[in-house]
Amino acid sequence: MTVTIGFIVNPIAGMGGKVGLKGTDGVLSEAIHRGAKPLAFQKAEDMLKELKTLHPTFDQIQWITCAGDMGANELTRAGITTFTITYTPQNEPTTSDDTKKACAHFLKSKIDLLVFCGGDGTTRDIVEVVQKRIPLLGIPSGVKMHSGVFAVNIKATAQMLHLFLSQSLTLGDVDIMDVDEERYRKGEWKVKLFGVAKGIVDPTYIQVGKATYESVSEDAVKDELAEHIKDEMNKQKDSLFFLGSGGTLEHIAHKLGLQKTVLGIDAVYQHKLVGTDLNEQQILELLKKYQKVTLVLSPIGAQGFILGRGNLQLSPQVINKIGIDNIIIVATPSKLVNTPLLRVDTGDTRLDQTFRDKEFFMVVIGYRLSRVVRIQTNNF
Amino acid sequence: MGGTQVTKRNPTSFLKEEYQDLVNKNLDWKLRILESPSTPHATVDGKKVLMLCSNNYLNLSNHPRLIKASMEAAKKYGAGSGSVRAIAGTMEIHTKVEKKLASFKRTESALLYQTGFAANAGLIPQLVGEGDVVISDELNHGSIIDGVRLTKADRAIFKHRDMGDLEKVLSDADKKYRRILIITDGVFSMDGDIAPMDQIVKLANKYGAMTYVDDAHGEGVIGPEGRGIGAHFHIEGKIDIEMGTFSKAYGVVGGLIAGSQDLVNFAYNKSRTWLLSGSHPPAVSGAQLAAIEVLETEPQHVKKLWDNTKYFKKELNSMGFNTGNSESPITPVMVGDSGKAKELSNKLFEDGIFALPIVFPMVARDKARIRVMMNAGLTQKDLDFALGSFEKLGKQLSII
Repeated sequence: MTVTIGFIVNPIAGMGGKVGLKGTDGVLSEAIHRGAKPLAFQKAEDMLKELKTLHPTFDQIQWITCAGDMGANELTRAGITTFTITYTPQNEPTTSDDTKKACAHFLKSKIDLLVFCGGDGTTRDIVEVVQKRIPLLGIPSGVKMHSGVFAVNIKATAQMLHLFLSQSLTLGDVDIMDVDEERYRKGEWKVKLFGVAKGIVDPTYIQVGKATYESVSEDAVKDELAEHIKDEMNKQKDSLFFLGSGGTLEHIAHKLGLQKTVLGIDAVYQHKLVGTDLNEQQILELLKKYQKVTLVLSPIGAQGFILGRGNLQLSPQVINKIGIDNIIIVATPSKLVNTPLLRVDTGDTRLDQTFRDKEFFMVVIGYRLSRVVRIQTNNF
Repeated sequence: MGGTQVTKRNPTSFLKEEYQDLVNKNLDWKLRILESPSTPHATVDGKKVLMLCSNNYLNLSNHPRLIKASMEAAKKYGAGSGSVRAIAGTMEIHTKVEKKLASFKRTESALLYQTGFAANAGLIPQLVGEGDVVISDELNHGSIIDGVRLTKADRAIFKHRDMGDLEKVLSDADKKYRRILIITDGVFSMDGDIAPMDQIVKLANKYGAMTYVDDAHGEGVIGPEGRGIGAHFHIEGKIDIEMGTFSKAYGVVGGLIAGSQDLVNFAYNKSRTWLLSGSHPPAVSGAQLAAIEVLETEPQHVKKLWDNTKYFKKELNSMGFNTGNSESPITPVMVGDSGKAKELSNKLFEDGIFALPIVFPMVARDKARIRVMMNAGLTQKDLDFALGSFEKLGKQLSII
């Protein structure tokens, strides 16, 4: 089977990092002034070369890319001579507008996977255009990589791509994060969940014979999680359920017949939505109304955050009112492969300490099936 | 009547289709035919091979005392038992095995099951139900997993042999459930490492949990005289349910449980696999009885098994092979890549060595290996022959 890969490099990605700018969005000239050198093209090239050594049918991959440093140059330097150029950047240096326009062109071609080199900012630009229509894999080159489309380093990216091309990995939902760089540079964490994209995930396997295993689709596992949550809702009929943000909870809610928002916190009482995309104030109002409350969360992004990234509505005051013993964590086993720790950063030292004392959650990974996952509260 | 009958659907077409699918994916079992007894030198598919993948650890399936006892039992009691145990199929020889087994394992009582799988699938779902929890090591064997699937209990998984993790699950479960059952393999079949049963029992006592160990690969292998995991940790009689099998080191077939009289009374009254399957033919139980007697009176077999294991592992390690964390005669020869592990297994077979590859997803992607099962019947010459082949092929495939 011939595979077509869209390939795009954000040439300026990561330039702010080396000169202490925590990102490059909007501050490129300052980065250059401070002596920043482009590094994305080297990372893209290294990944391609690594893939070439790993993947036996590398030569059969069809490449669709952008002109110049946005892809074509890197492909050429990696020894790939045949590729199609679908877009030529209109700005020098390139801007996020070029990334978005290139993606619009990619959507017109039949692409199996879009491999890009950049950071969270680049991911955000791409997802804004392609959404879930093309699966993504990021070569980490930015300053911040919180989105679930990145492997940990260049080698791991090549390995992931090789396994995907060998049909050993599958596709699933990954969270895309949005960092407010302006505030981040001032040392403030304001990370929001930006959206959900299709990415490469490790399938969940079940043993069907003595030595034969079948991979289970992400959706099938999420269906099981939905059954579990349905049981919980039936068991705790008088409890208000808050459902957190992200693709896993969106799927669960849909399975339960609820039109949940993907990015927001929604509230369910006796199987009916009683609030969507709630802000902190609205959550606090509901907490006054209902005596019994359960909060269902799933790790968001690449680092396994359950609180403090992407769901700032769940403020320390909210969590204190709900009580940490009333939190249920759900995750597919494949998500836990990449995020083996649950990270918490509520911004409230005392509340973080409560999580530290709890040490672990029994994370629901299937229907009435759970496993121990430890909590980490340190900032990283 | 007459006319053509219209078939609504082809009711059995899936048989062929699903089998073909397995064949296409190279996931079907290609059964190799053993044309000789299961001895270290066996004939497999017409080829003489050194057998390094049987579970006949002590080579007891070929022991003259077992063969003789088997024949005598058949002569005395006939070829079959005529019934399920519960109705008219409990023969004197079955009860003799059970008494002998309890005494060997230093437990109050013991019970035979048709197979190890029947023990797990029959007993586990009776021990726990709605409102209970089964706490399971993440690397437990398939038959435990199936037994657990049959229960209505919740399931919680702890990290392989991680007692900190286990205690966390227990502390959480303690508040929520009626009964708690901790279940683990004794010797883990892929890695050959051993569950820390002494610590598990201690934690279980602290939280009021039951302990269940599947000691299929430990029976006849670990502990003094091969009395299994209870003896290995000097906690005989303290594990609530010691489950095992006669089909591995004992060299026969059949499942077993050992524990209190209360456990046995409960088990045979409630396990549907036990109640609804015919009992073992007398020849089987004759051999089972003799196997225990051999273990009690001929310590050389277990000693030889361990001598062979130590020598084989030491030599492999000195060649540069990684044998993982094995603490038992199960010797994983780590290869890494699944394709390479299959290739090594095929090349070993060409050299006359029968050892199976264990590949992803049975083990992690980078942890494919050849699983060598040591055997008391292997001579020094046999081991050196196998080692020579491993060294040659290991170098050829750049594993060492």
